[in-house]
Amino acid sequence: MLRQALGKIAQTLVVLFFVSVASFGLLKLAPGDPIQIMLGSEYSQESYEQLTAQLGLDQPFLAQYADWALRFVQGDWGTSYVARTDIYTYAFKEALPVTLTLASFSLAFAILIGVPLGVISAVKKDTAFDAGSAVLALTGTAFPSFLLGILLIWFFAVKLQLFPVMGYISPWQDFWGGIYHMILPGLTLSTYFIAMITRLTRATLIEVMEQPYIAAARARGEPSWRVIWVHGVRNIAMPLVTILGLQLGTLLQGTVLTETVFNLPGIGQMLTSAVLGREYMVVQAGVMMTATLFIGVNLLVDLSYPFLDPRLRARK
Amino acid sequence: MTGIDHKKVLAQRLSARLGRRAVLKGMGAGLLTATAASGVPGIARAQQSGHLKIASIKVIDTLDPHFTGFLSAIQIINNIHNGLLKIVYDGENVTFEPDLAESWDLEDDKTHVFKLREGVMFHDGTPCDAEAVKFSLLRVKEGEPASPHAWKLALLDTIDIVDPLTIKLTFSEPYAFLPVALTGSTGRAGTIVSPAAVQQYGADYGRHPVGTGPFKFVSWKENDAIELEANPDYFEPGMPKLERVTFVLMNEASTALAALMAGQIDGMTDCPMQLVDQVDAFPNATLYGEIEGNYTFVGMNCKRAPFDDINLRRAVAWALDRETIVQQAYFGRAKKAYTPISPPMTSFYDPDIATSGRGQWFDLEKAKAFRAKAANQGEIEATYVMAERGPVGTRIAQTVAPMLAQIGIKAKLELVEPATWLKRRNESDFDLYDFEWVADLDPDETIYPEFRSDGAWNFGGWVNTEFDELCAQAQVVLDVEERRPLYYKAEDLLMDEAGIAIMAHMPIYKVFSNKVQGFEYIPADLVNLHTVSLA
Repeated sequence: MLRQALGKIAQTLVVLFFVSVASFGLLKLAPGDPIQIMLGSEYSQESYEQLTAQLGLDQPFLAQYADWALRFVQGDWGTSYVARTDIYTYAFKEALPVTLTLASFSLAFAILIGVPLGVISAVKKDTAFDAGSAVLALTGTAFPSFLLGILLIWFFAVKLQLFPVMGYISPWQDFWGGIYHMILPGLTLSTYFIAMITRLTRATLIEVMEQPYIAAARARGEPSWRVIWVHGVRNIAMPLVTILGLQLGTLLQGTVLTETVFNLPGIGQMLTSAVLGREYMVVQAGVMMTATLFIGVNLLVDLSYPFLDPRLRARK
Repeated sequence: MTGIDHKKVLAQRLSARLGRRAVLKGMGAGLLTATAASGVPGIARAQQSGHLKIASIKVIDTLDPHFTGFLSAIQIINNIHNGLLKIVYDGENVTFEPDLAESWDLEDDKTHVFKLREGVMFHDGTPCDAEAVKFSLLRVKEGEPASPHAWKLALLDTIDIVDPLTIKLTFSEPYAFLPVALTGSTGRAGTIVSPAAVQQYGADYGRHPVGTGPFKFVSWKENDAIELEANPDYFEPGMPKLERVTFVLMNEASTALAALMAGQIDGMTDCPMQLVDQVDAFPNATLYGEIEGNYTFVGMNCKRAPFDDINLRRAVAWALDRETIVQQAYFGRAKKAYTPISPPMTSFYDPDIATSGRGQWFDLEKAKAFRAKAANQGEIEATYVMAERGPVGTRIAQTVAPMLAQIGIKAKLELVEPATWLKRRNESDFDLYDFEWVADLDPDETIYPEFRSDGAWNFGGWVNTEFDELCAQAQVVLDVEERRPLYYKAEDLLMDEAGIAIMAHMPIYKVFSNKVQGFEYIPADLVNLHTVSLA
């Protein structure tokens, strides 16, 4: 298993290398440059050239990439061109925790709401409850998250004043405050996943419930809740975890809109403003972090299979 | 009697030309010296209380006054720093008054003498004296790297320190534009920064700004917030009134409005026009906004076909139905423009412009007549580059395109993201685009850098040497009556040859909850908070 993990990590590094070249190259190919944006309208060609040289943006593409990559692996993530932010602090210490918190909350919502809904739908197949949850799930997948976010804000935060409109409080500093601020954004981001998990749970559970071991459990006279929640649900864990791992990309994409609507200073907002401002090094930091996160989670998913399914455990 | 009283002339001119409605002749000199006597610093320590949270919707580039190009950054910078002069507005007139200076005198028409306030300290405890002022001015004029605002002090010849609190600036020509150059909203050439802080932080000064202003910089978290706290040693007695100010950095204006309505924030430094109706209907907030010194226009590329054809450009200029544009694109909030000079510049803006026969307006017959004279009589396809930028985004292009269709011009709307838009505009890679020049306080900055033949911002490439001469001439004329006709003539050339098709003058809005008291609105997109308190 250690070998397997090491192999995966080596793969990860290769993937990260290609990702970094691709994102650096793509952004450089896009028209527009940070100096123009930073100088506004009032500048002379002289100050333009001076700043370009000062920031090393007059170097050839490969030199710029190599310079960035060498520093990056040494832990020097650089300073943003315009605002002079220390990128490591900005991206890793400030933005990443926000996005991780938001993503964790959304995943928790998705599982806590989606799985029970799916299980009940499966058990009560073809009833009004099942039809109702199907409609909800379809609406959930089809509803654009930014619109939902704005609607939730207007109803729960402005009209009822139950939740804050926006902002982030770290749950590590103020646990309840953090949760309080995460409920609306978490719900917004998780709608799609709640819907997806509900449908997935329903479909796989219906299949599982037709398996002989379920019939056997029933024949042993085990109570119905135990048959469903223990024998049934345990067997849908694997497809569920696999899909969640693969959908992490979608979740991270979703953070862009959710963070904008709820004004959370996370990676989504960081990447949006960095791409628009052509802050090459900030984009690189963001891409590296999300890519690592994505690969890392999928690595964990792979490694978790033996725990979820005893048949996959290596024989000694 | 020797020579003329230059200070009086300049003062009159300043008070007159920027007044909103009334022109208070003869009062100018008084306006300039009025603040001279205001208080000895450090006598009355203000009692600060309250924490104001205000949303800042736009991008903040840097908090370094000498390098920013963004008004949204100036709004914050101005609360941390002071300048030699400041912009003052009494509801009628915009005037320039000494700020860090106790007095401002003109020895002759090229020599300005500033006497500084005594005992003013930067937030880092170093004194703000003539040395510091000289340091800041030189940093703008010839610093490394070059400040984008260096051109504003290009005529500054020598800086003499007369004594520790007196500084004498000598210019190579009478510089009519000086007060605006020192204070103009997008410039900050006259803003004084702490030399010690600049030496300490170098290029990172913009993240560690140290001024003399009513608030001290505390922290800046990207995409999150910029925090300021009261400077208890501020030189204006009794100010600031707030203990703490947070500029909440936001991208989404509708969220900011929701937060304002829910009471989570106390104001917005910018309220986009599409939200103004909602704010109006909300009883607990007050909207601040007037038509400011700006103009919007459709730019045409005069350097290449098809718009190198003057008749085709004229056809466009007369084909735009400004009433419809104001209603559709500006939510009925803007004011139709005939020429670039905008209403706040009272002694230059013609109140009867609509009937004066000057400028451009909507006349489809005339447009068609010009179109008939154009070289290309077939259907013309033109690339209109637009982006989600500015207060009304892509709405102008969408409103204008059908108007152009009426004169046989098929506008191919190309939506690009803002950085690409900027690059294409700066490289004149377009046939048509729309834009707005904002925060103008003087006709010079309204048209000269924008349309001078070799002007850096003349993206449409309209060339007229007579226009250049008129503007250059007007720059060194101090008398309003003499200066005004020069600008009228220059404007008329631009409008007649349709270097641009002018559209509108826009209002710029800010919103504060009714808890916020004492906000002094200045029609230059400023958010000065030293007088503000929370109920």
